[in-house]
Amino acid sequence: MLLALLSSVLDAAPAVVFAAVGATLSERAGVVNVGVEGMMRAGAFGAAAAALVMPTPLGVLVGVAAGALVAALHAWLCIQGRSDQVVSGMAINLVMLAFGQFLLEAAFSSPAGTPAITQLPKWFGHSPLTWLAIVLPFVVHLAVTRTPWGLRLRAVGEKPQAVAAMGVRVTRLRFGAVVLSGAFAGLGGAQLSTAVLDHFESHMPSGLGFMAVAAMVFGRWTPLGAAGAALFFAFGDALRISLASSAPGLLEVVPQGVLLALPYALTLLVLSLQRRGAARAPAALGQPYDPELR
Amino acid sequence: MRETARAALPSVASVITSLVVCFLAVAVLRGGLEVALDAFLAMTWGAFGDFPRFFDGGTSAAVLRPLGESATKAAILTLTGLSVAVAFRVGLFNIGAQGQLIVGALAAAVVGAGVELPTALHVALCLLAAAAGGALYALGPALLKRYRGVHEVISTIMLNWVALSLVENWLVTGPLRATTTGDNSIAGTAQIHASAELPRLLGDVSRLNAGILLAIAAAVALWLWLTRFVGGFQWRAVGANPEAARASGVNVGRAFISAMLVSGALAGLAGAVLILGTEQRYPATIGAPYGFDGIAMALIGNGHPLGVLASALLFGGLRAGGTRMQLFGVHKSFPELIQGLALLLVAARLMWMKVSDRLLKPKGGP
Repeated sequence: MLLALLSSVLDAAPAVVFAAVGATLSERAGVVNVGVEGMMRAGAFGAAAAALVMPTPLGVLVGVAAGALVAALHAWLCIQGRSDQVVSGMAINLVMLAFGQFLLEAAFSSPAGTPAITQLPKWFGHSPLTWLAIVLPFVVHLAVTRTPWGLRLRAVGEKPQAVAAMGVRVTRLRFGAVVLSGAFAGLGGAQLSTAVLDHFESHMPSGLGFMAVAAMVFGRWTPLGAAGAALFFAFGDALRISLASSAPGLLEVVPQGVLLALPYALTLLVLSLQRRGAARAPAALGQPYDPELR
Repeated sequence: MRETARAALPSVASVITSLVVCFLAVAVLRGGLEVALDAFLAMTWGAFGDFPRFFDGGTSAAVLRPLGESATKAAILTLTGLSVAVAFRVGLFNIGAQGQLIVGALAAAVVGAGVELPTALHVALCLLAAAAGGALYALGPALLKRYRGVHEVISTIMLNWVALSLVENWLVTGPLRATTTGDNSIAGTAQIHASAELPRLLGDVSRLNAGILLAIAAAVALWLWLTRFVGGFQWRAVGANPEAARASGVNVGRAFISAMLVSGALAGLAGAVLILGTEQRYPATIGAPYGFDGIAMALIGNGHPLGVLASALLFGGLRAGGTRMQLFGVHKSFPELIQGLALLLVAARLMWMKVSDRLLKPKGGP
């Protein structure tokens, strides 16, 4: 029972882990990323569509590129265009939702999903992306906390003018962080369509992008925290699904809907209980960089 | 006049650009300009009245039915758009219109089915319940912002999913599910009483209901409030610069909370119009992300109540007409792509401002 549960977490969690860890990169650099949902969708579609004509692992790379491309649009709007970052992110979600449907219809003449592809191979019972999802948060953690790039990234999200004074190009650093964040989200989306399922479904990722944002906030904008929160949410979800089949009586007492609402309610609770001034969002989050300011 | 033109130009230019891009996309992916032209014409007739058929000796229904469908959609888009726009005016980003709409819709469905009253009173009570539900659901983020410094974008995103999960995965399928009679298992809550239905404006020709009148009234009232009343002026002052507003004696916290309450109430009303006007019960799922469409309406309408109304009338029309594009192999959600792209382009406001400065610069001036 417990082993089966853990096994299903290993399959379900990576998408949210990748997206949540990616989102921390963008936000630590000071760019709000609520467009994760749209970037994941791009990755899921790109990977599934590409895997129809090429080996699936290459398709996953196409998904990563698709996520990065969408993120580049977000970055361009937010950094070069100094648009409102939340507006840009939500616009990306809405565009990708409709664009995915349009492409499905136009390219595959089917509103429900793409044709089936070969799934990613399994290593030790799970997709390679599962194992990558275990390693990657630590790599990103080290990169953010121990490298000069990571130091600059964090500084640029707190006080960009100070970093600029050191001779670092703020816009380029932020652009890179946002694109990388999109690549991670794309990888998460690709995991959905190439490892969890074997095709792209019209509703993908059906809210997992927002769950990634919740995990990032829950994990207090740190890669390890975000990954941990994503795992925790995925575990809760796996538990709910397994309870539904093994102990339906329990769900009479605690309904499924309540369990589904739990990750978001918990995140909100943690946020509202936290002391003012405690570890929180990067100081310059959401503010366009203006080189004129000091 | 020049100022109005300058403010409206990014929106108008974005919508036109988006229409052109999407037209070309259909032409490329569906084989030729003629197909695209036919598809777009079908959408236009489906949106604003089938005039060719009308002048060809058709009945007035050929024009009235599409217009009715468009106005029905526009009513909901207007209300959610106003909801987002009013929060914008005090500088808050209410992403939670979807959650507030769900709560309002549920409140309307419960009061509509559970209470028996004469018609006018019943509708009013349902609308009131929906507005109160939406407002209460928006009060949480406002208080968290005011007293705990929690960013409203995060809290409203979380509350959207809380509302969706609790209502659609629990209440509607569990405690509030309509009791089933015989073989007919009805998804969603019980049917509302006839006395709670919004009156139909066009009889049997269309589903058009009084919701559109409510939406227009709300837009005009909000416009008057923001431009003619001290309270509305204070909201705008807070939105423009909270520090300056505070320094000149405006109670910023109260402005945040009252604007958020109005915002939530408007989203709740949108839910009520959906239930009392078209659905007649809370269905198994609302399905469409009307609350997120509200963000698009608010931004394309440039945060101006009448701009929101105009934008909702346009996109309500396109979306009603979009179903006719299916004949040309284009999914009925295509107008949502036009809308999303227009929103993305509006987001690049700075770009349009540069264009408009160049176009509208007084001749000979600096």
